[in-house]
Amino acid sequence: MTWADWFDQFAFFLVGGITLLGAVGVVFAPRIIHACLCLLVALIGVAGLYGLMAAHLLLGIQLLVYAGGIAVLILFAIMLLHRRGEGGILGGTRNLIIGLPATVIVWFVVAAAVIFSKWHYLPGGATVSPPAGSNVRIIGELLLSRHLLAFELVSVVMLMALVGAIIIAREDKQPGRNTPGTTGVSPVGSRTGETPVLPDGVCTGGEDESE
Amino acid sequence: MILPPVGLLHYLILSVCLFSFGLLAVITRRHAIGILLGIELMLNSANLNLVAFSHFLSPDTVLDGQVFALMVIALAACEAAVGLAIILRFYRQAAVTDVADAKLLKW
Repeated sequence: MTWADWFDQFAFFLVGGITLLGAVGVVFAPRIIHACLCLLVALIGVAGLYGLMAAHLLLGIQLLVYAGGIAVLILFAIMLLHRRGEGGILGGTRNLIIGLPATVIVWFVVAAAVIFSKWHYLPGGATVSPPAGSNVRIIGELLLSRHLLAFELVSVVMLMALVGAIIIAREDKQPGRNTPGTTGVSPVGSRTGETPVLPDGVCTGGEDESE
Repeated sequence: MILPPVGLLHYLILSVCLFSFGLLAVITRRHAIGILLGIELMLNSANLNLVAFSHFLSPDTVLDGQVFALMVIALAACEAAVGLAIILRFYRQAAVTDVADAKLLKW
């Protein structure tokens, strides 16, 4: 084996190991905010794996959208929702008793399918890595020529999701609805009815627009 | 020690592991945001599959798999935004985030 092969092995197992550690943390971290930080580690690890596969544009987008956007959005939501001392985050032993065998079965079935399949390698695959940045142009041309319909549809879907998220998270206007959380820390939207509404939904919508 | 060179199978097995952990998080977590975290993990494993197929099975100038992965990332952003909005709404009405308490639509 040449040094380049050893470097490939080392980089793959290092980055893949970090990613898997992050994934383990997502499952088993006792507090939800730690699980979200572990998800951040896993997302950055996946970005590193994209880099190892010479997908440099996806590496950048993964870091920007996932690590910079989605993870931070989830962190904001946790900080809005979280109450200290709210137990029962892992679903006790019952969920684990059901979930662990199901997950192991899924793992074995899919892994066996992956290993025993005969993959049809097209000629020219994974021969040389293109120089960094050279696939950006190809992806841009693909997005605006062959995948133009999907591109536009995704933009429409994102607009719908933006409006939908604002409408769903917006506070109700009418007074007299039941305000929850009278004990303990009051939740976010518990305001009395007559106060002029600067609803929290607007803030939530603002987070969406940062995507 | 001779290791096989890093190829498609490495990435696929890693992706299966990520998917399994995401599934386990979805099943075992009771916090609604924990379930969302598991879903994000599963979407990432699918993306890893797409990029691995695009890199190892097709020539380097055919990048349709990466375009698919871009679409998945955009839709995952939408899914996270709408999901968090629903969770916020649910928390405002019920003041809990345990999904076992979401039984309004349960018959």
